[in-house]
Amino acid sequence: MTGVDDSELAARASRADPEAFGELVARHAPMARRVAYAVLEDQEDADDAAQEGFLSAWQAIGRYDPKRAFRPWLMQIVVNAARDLRRRRRVRAAEPLEHVAAAARDDPAREAGELDLGDQLRKALATLPERQRLAVVLFDAEGYPQAEIAGMLGIPEGTVKSDVFHGRRALRKALGSVKEEWDEQR
Amino acid sequence: MSNGDGHNVTGPDAQLCAALRSALEMPHDGAFVTRLRALVRQRRERTWDEVLAGWFWQGVLATSMVVAAAVLGLSALGPGATTSTDEESVAVQLIDAQSPGADVLIASMTRVR
Repeated sequence: MTGVDDSELAARASRADPEAFGELVARHAPMARRVAYAVLEDQEDADDAAQEGFLSAWQAIGRYDPKRAFRPWLMQIVVNAARDLRRRRRVRAAEPLEHVAAAARDDPAREAGELDLGDQLRKALATLPERQRLAVVLFDAEGYPQAEIAGMLGIPEGTVKSDVFHGRRALRKALGSVKEEWDEQR
Repeated sequence: MSNGDGHNVTGPDAQLCAALRSALEMPHDGAFVTRLRALVRQRRERTWDEVLAGWFWQGVLATSMVVAAAVLGLSALGPGATTSTDEESVAVQLIDAQSPGADVLIASMTRVR
Protein backbone atom coordinates (compact mmCIF):
# COMPACT_ATOMS: atom_id res chain seq x y z
CA MET A 1 0.00 0.00 0.00
CA THR A 2 3.00 2.28 -0.40
CA GLY A 3 1.51 4.24 -3.31
CA VAL A 4 -1.82 4.87 -1.61
CA ASP A 5 -2.34 8.21 0.11
CA ASP A 6 -3.70 8.67 3.62
CA SER A 7 -7.19 9.72 2.54
CA GLU A 8 -7.65 6.62 0.41
CA LEU A 9 -6.39 4.40 3.24
CA ALA A 10 -8.75 6.15 5.66
CA ALA A 11 -11.63 5.59 3.23
CA ARG A 12 -10.79 1.88 3.06
CA ALA A 13 -10.42 1.76 6.85
CA SER A 14 -13.88 3.31 7.23
CA ARG A 15 -15.20 0.31 5.29
CA ALA A 16 -13.86 -1.86 8.14
CA ASP A 17 -10.53 -2.73 6.48
CA PRO A 18 -8.07 -3.28 9.36
CA GLU A 19 -5.12 -3.69 6.99
CA ALA A 20 -5.66 -0.20 5.60
CA PHE A 21 -5.80 1.22 9.10
CA GLY A 22 -2.71 -0.82 10.01
CA GLU A 23 -0.85 0.92 7.21
CA LEU A 24 -1.88 4.29 8.64
CA VAL A 25 -0.61 3.13 12.03
CA ALA A 26 2.75 2.17 10.51
CA ARG A 27 3.06 5.53 8.76
CA HIS A 28 2.14 7.74 11.70
CA ALA A 29 3.18 5.79 14.80
CA PRO A 30 6.62 7.43 15.18
CA MET A 31 5.10 10.91 15.03
CA ALA A 32 2.21 9.99 17.34
CA ARG A 33 4.64 8.59 19.90
CA ARG A 34 6.84 11.71 19.77
CA VAL A 35 3.84 14.00 20.18
CA ALA A 36 2.46 11.92 23.06
CA TYR A 37 5.90 11.98 24.67
CA ALA A 38 5.95 15.78 24.35
CA VAL A 39 2.80 15.88 26.49
CA LEU A 40 3.63 13.13 28.99
CA GLU A 41 7.44 13.12 29.27
CA ASP A 42 7.38 9.39 29.90
CA GLN A 43 7.90 6.71 27.27
CA GLU A 44 5.50 4.11 28.69
CA ASP A 45 2.75 6.66 29.20
CA ALA A 46 3.41 8.05 25.72
CA ASP A 47 2.98 4.58 24.21
CA ASP A 48 -0.24 4.04 26.16
CA ALA A 49 -1.59 7.39 24.97
CA ALA A 50 -0.53 6.85 21.35
CA GLN A 51 -2.15 3.42 21.38
CA GLU A 52 -5.33 4.82 22.92
CA GLY A 53 -5.34 7.57 20.31
CA PHE A 54 -5.00 5.13 17.40
CA LEU A 55 -7.74 2.87 18.75
CA SER A 56 -10.04 5.86 19.24
CA ALA A 57 -9.30 6.93 15.67
CA TRP A 58 -10.10 3.38 14.45
CA GLN A 59 -13.44 3.53 16.23
CA ALA A 60 -14.18 7.01 14.86
CA ILE A 61 -12.83 6.46 11.34
CA GLY A 62 -16.38 6.43 9.96
CA ARG A 63 -16.72 10.08 11.01
CA TYR A 64 -13.44 11.19 9.37
CA ASP A 65 -14.04 13.75 6.61
CA PRO A 66 -11.82 12.73 3.65
CA LYS A 67 -11.78 16.37 2.48
CA ARG A 68 -9.63 17.18 5.52
CA ALA A 69 -6.01 16.09 5.91
CA PHE A 70 -5.74 12.84 7.85
CA ARG A 71 -2.55 13.57 9.80
CA PRO A 72 -3.82 16.60 11.80
CA TRP A 73 -7.11 14.78 12.48
CA LEU A 74 -5.18 11.84 13.92
CA MET A 75 -2.73 14.02 15.86
CA GLN A 76 -5.61 15.92 17.47
CA ILE A 77 -6.97 12.61 18.74
CA VAL A 78 -3.53 11.57 20.00
CA VAL A 79 -2.98 14.90 21.78
CA ASN A 80 -6.40 14.57 23.43
CA ALA A 81 -5.63 10.98 24.47
CA ALA A 82 -2.30 12.09 25.94
CA ARG A 83 -3.93 14.96 27.83
CA ASP A 84 -6.63 12.63 29.14
CA LEU A 85 -4.02 10.19 30.35
CA ARG A 86 -2.10 13.00 31.95
CA ARG A 87 -5.20 14.14 33.80
CA ARG A 88 -5.86 10.59 34.96
CA ARG A 89 -2.30 10.21 36.16
CA ARG A 90 -1.84 13.76 37.31
CA VAL A 91 -0.10 12.92 40.55
CA ARG A 92 2.14 10.36 38.97
CA ALA A 93 2.92 12.59 36.00
CA ALA A 94 3.60 15.73 37.99
CA GLU A 95 6.33 14.24 40.11
CA PRO A 96 8.70 13.18 37.34
CA LEU A 97 8.19 16.48 35.55
CA GLU A 98 9.17 18.44 38.63
CA HIS A 99 12.03 16.09 39.15
CA VAL A 100 13.24 16.43 35.56
CA ALA A 101 12.79 20.17 35.58
CA ALA A 102 14.86 20.42 38.75
CA ALA A 103 17.45 18.12 37.23
CA ALA A 104 17.64 20.35 34.18
CA ARG A 105 18.53 23.25 36.43
CA ASP A 106 20.81 21.52 38.89
CA ASP A 107 22.25 18.45 37.19
CA PRO A 108 26.00 18.29 37.94
CA ALA A 109 26.52 16.19 34.84
CA ARG A 110 24.99 18.96 32.77
CA GLU A 111 27.25 21.49 34.36
CA ALA A 112 30.20 19.25 33.58
CA GLY A 113 29.02 18.99 29.95
CA GLU A 114 28.61 15.23 30.22
CA LEU A 115 25.04 15.02 28.88
CA ASP A 116 24.53 14.64 25.16
CA LEU A 117 22.42 16.96 23.10
CA GLY A 118 19.33 14.71 23.26
CA ASP A 119 19.43 14.49 27.06
CA GLN A 120 19.86 18.23 27.40
CA LEU A 121 17.09 18.95 24.95
CA ARG A 122 14.65 16.60 26.73
CA LYS A 123 15.48 18.18 30.06
CA ALA A 124 15.12 21.66 28.59
CA LEU A 125 11.76 20.72 27.08
CA ALA A 126 10.60 19.47 30.47
CA THR A 127 11.03 22.99 31.85
CA LEU A 128 8.46 24.40 29.38
CA PRO A 129 4.72 24.58 30.07
CA GLU A 130 2.87 21.78 28.25
CA ARG A 131 1.29 24.04 25.63
CA GLN A 132 4.58 25.71 24.73
CA ARG A 133 6.28 22.32 24.56
CA LEU A 134 3.59 20.97 22.24
CA ALA A 135 3.67 24.08 20.04
CA VAL A 136 7.44 23.86 19.58
CA VAL A 137 7.39 20.11 18.94
CA LEU A 138 4.46 20.25 16.50
CA PHE A 139 5.88 23.27 14.67
CA ASP A 140 9.63 22.65 14.67
CA ALA A 141 9.88 18.86 14.95
CA GLU A 142 6.78 17.78 13.04
CA GLY A 143 6.45 20.67 10.61
CA TYR A 144 2.77 21.47 11.09
CA PRO A 145 1.57 24.95 10.02
CA GLN A 146 0.61 27.21 12.89
CA ALA A 147 -3.04 27.28 11.76
CA GLU A 148 -3.28 23.48 12.01
CA ILE A 149 -1.59 23.48 15.42
CA ALA A 150 -4.12 26.08 16.56
CA GLY A 151 -6.92 23.76 15.43
CA MET A 152 -5.37 20.75 17.13
CA LEU A 153 -4.82 22.50 20.45
CA GLY A 154 -7.99 24.58 20.36
CA ILE A 155 -6.19 27.90 20.73
CA PRO A 156 -5.85 30.99 18.49
CA GLU A 157 -3.12 31.00 15.84
CA GLY A 158 -1.52 34.04 17.46
CA THR A 159 -1.15 32.07 20.69
CA VAL A 160 0.63 29.29 18.81
CA LYS A 161 3.03 31.83 17.31
CA SER A 162 3.67 33.31 20.74
CA ASP A 163 4.17 29.84 22.27
CA VAL A 164 6.66 28.85 19.58
CA PHE A 165 8.56 32.09 20.07
CA HIS A 166 8.69 31.82 23.85
CA GLY A 167 9.33 28.07 23.74
CA ARG A 168 12.29 28.49 21.43
CA ARG A 169 13.66 31.31 23.57
CA ALA A 170 13.32 29.21 26.73
CA LEU A 171 15.02 26.25 25.04
CA ARG A 172 17.88 28.45 23.89
CA LYS A 173 18.29 29.86 27.37
CA ALA A 174 18.13 26.42 29.01
CA LEU A 175 20.53 24.86 26.57
CA GLY A 176 23.12 27.61 26.58
CA SER A 177 26.30 25.82 25.65
CA VAL A 178 24.48 23.47 23.30
CA LYS A 179 23.50 26.39 21.14
CA GLU A 180 27.16 27.21 20.75
CA GLU A 181 27.73 23.63 19.58
CA TRP A 182 24.95 24.02 17.05
CA ASP A 183 26.36 27.30 15.88
CA GLU A 184 29.75 25.68 15.45
CA GLN A 185 28.17 22.90 13.41
CA ARG A 186 26.58 25.41 11.02
CA MET B 1 17.65 27.89 16.36
CA SER B 2 19.61 28.55 13.25
CA ASN B 3 18.22 32.05 13.11
CA GLY B 4 19.99 32.84 16.37
CA ASP B 5 17.48 35.11 18.07
CA GLY B 6 14.48 32.78 17.63
CA HIS B 7 12.21 35.63 16.48
CA ASN B 8 11.56 34.04 13.11
CA VAL B 9 8.54 31.85 13.72
CA THR B 10 7.32 31.91 10.14
CA GLY B 11 8.89 28.53 9.39
CA PRO B 12 10.28 25.50 11.22
CA ASP B 13 13.90 25.65 12.30
CA ALA B 14 15.73 22.89 10.44
CA GLN B 15 18.41 22.41 13.09
CA LEU B 16 15.91 22.45 15.93
CA CYS B 17 13.73 20.03 13.97
CA ALA B 18 16.55 17.51 13.62
CA ALA B 19 17.63 17.90 17.25
CA LEU B 20 14.08 17.61 18.61
CA ARG B 21 13.26 14.58 16.49
CA SER B 22 16.42 12.90 17.64
CA ALA B 23 15.73 13.78 21.28
CA LEU B 24 12.10 12.63 21.16
CA GLU B 25 12.72 9.49 19.14
CA MET B 26 11.16 6.49 20.87
CA PRO B 27 12.68 3.02 20.62
CA HIS B 28 11.01 -0.04 19.08
CA ASP B 29 8.63 1.57 16.61
CA GLY B 30 8.27 -1.81 14.87
CA ALA B 31 7.10 -3.64 17.99
CA PHE B 32 4.65 -0.85 18.79
CA VAL B 33 3.17 -1.01 15.29
CA THR B 34 2.91 -4.83 15.34
CA ARG B 35 1.12 -4.81 18.70
CA LEU B 36 -1.26 -2.07 17.62
CA ARG B 37 -2.08 -3.75 14.31
CA ALA B 38 -3.04 -6.89 16.22
CA LEU B 39 -5.33 -4.86 18.48
CA VAL B 40 -6.93 -3.19 15.46
CA ARG B 41 -7.66 -6.60 13.90
CA GLN B 42 -9.16 -7.79 17.20
CA ARG B 43 -11.47 -4.80 17.30
CA ARG B 44 -12.66 -5.45 13.78
CA GLU B 45 -15.41 -7.67 15.15
CA ARG B 46 -17.91 -5.04 16.15
CA THR B 47 -20.43 -5.50 18.93
CA TRP B 48 -24.17 -5.55 18.12
CA ASP B 49 -24.73 -2.06 19.50
CA GLU B 50 -21.95 -0.69 17.28
CA VAL B 51 -23.59 -2.38 14.29
CA LEU B 52 -26.94 -0.82 15.23
CA ALA B 53 -25.27 2.55 15.73
CA GLY B 54 -23.74 2.21 12.27
CA TRP B 55 -27.22 1.74 10.76
CA PHE B 56 -28.83 4.51 12.81
CA TRP B 57 -28.84 7.29 10.19
CA GLN B 58 -29.83 4.93 7.40
CA GLY B 59 -32.73 3.83 9.61
CA VAL B 60 -33.76 7.41 10.28
CA LEU B 61 -33.60 8.19 6.54
CA ALA B 62 -35.66 5.12 5.57
CA THR B 63 -38.30 5.89 8.23
CA SER B 64 -38.51 9.51 7.05
CA MET B 65 -39.03 8.36 3.45
CA VAL B 66 -41.80 5.94 4.47
CA VAL B 67 -43.55 8.66 6.52
CA ALA B 68 -43.20 11.16 3.67
CA ALA B 69 -44.65 8.65 1.18
CA ALA B 70 -47.58 7.93 3.52
CA VAL B 71 -48.31 11.64 3.95
CA LEU B 72 -48.16 12.20 0.18
CA GLY B 73 -50.45 9.22 -0.41
CA LEU B 74 -53.06 10.50 2.05
CA SER B 75 -52.93 14.02 0.64
CA ALA B 76 -53.41 12.59 -2.89
CA LEU B 77 -56.71 11.04 -1.76
CA GLY B 78 -57.53 14.50 -0.51
CA PRO B 79 -60.10 15.80 2.00
CA GLY B 80 -62.27 17.16 -0.89
CA ALA B 81 -62.69 13.71 -2.37
CA THR B 82 -63.80 12.33 0.97
CA THR B 83 -66.34 15.16 1.53
CA SER B 84 -67.89 14.87 -1.91
CA THR B 85 -68.34 11.14 -1.41
CA ASP B 86 -70.07 11.83 1.91
CA GLU B 87 -72.31 14.51 0.37
CA GLU B 88 -73.27 12.21 -2.47
CA SER B 89 -74.13 9.44 -0.10
CA VAL B 90 -76.44 11.72 1.96
CA ALA B 91 -78.20 12.91 -1.19
CA VAL B 92 -78.62 9.37 -2.41
CA GLN B 93 -80.03 8.35 0.97
CA LEU B 94 -82.56 11.22 0.90
CA ILE B 95 -83.65 10.44 -2.64
CA ASP B 96 -83.64 6.69 -2.13
CA ALA B 97 -87.19 5.84 -1.03
CA GLN B 98 -86.11 2.40 0.10
CA SER B 99 -83.96 3.91 2.82
CA PRO B 100 -85.75 3.99 6.20
CA GLY B 101 -83.61 6.88 7.35
CA ALA B 102 -84.99 9.09 4.56
CA ASP B 103 -88.60 8.20 5.44
CA VAL B 104 -88.09 9.16 9.03
CA LEU B 105 -86.44 12.45 8.06
CA ILE B 106 -89.14 13.44 5.58
CA ALA B 107 -91.94 12.48 7.99
CA SER B 108 -90.46 14.54 10.79
CA MET B 109 -90.05 17.54 8.47
CA THR B 110 -93.73 17.30 7.37
CA ARG B 111 -95.01 17.21 11.00
CA VAL B 112 -93.03 20.29 11.89
CA ARG B 113 -94.67 22.19 9.09
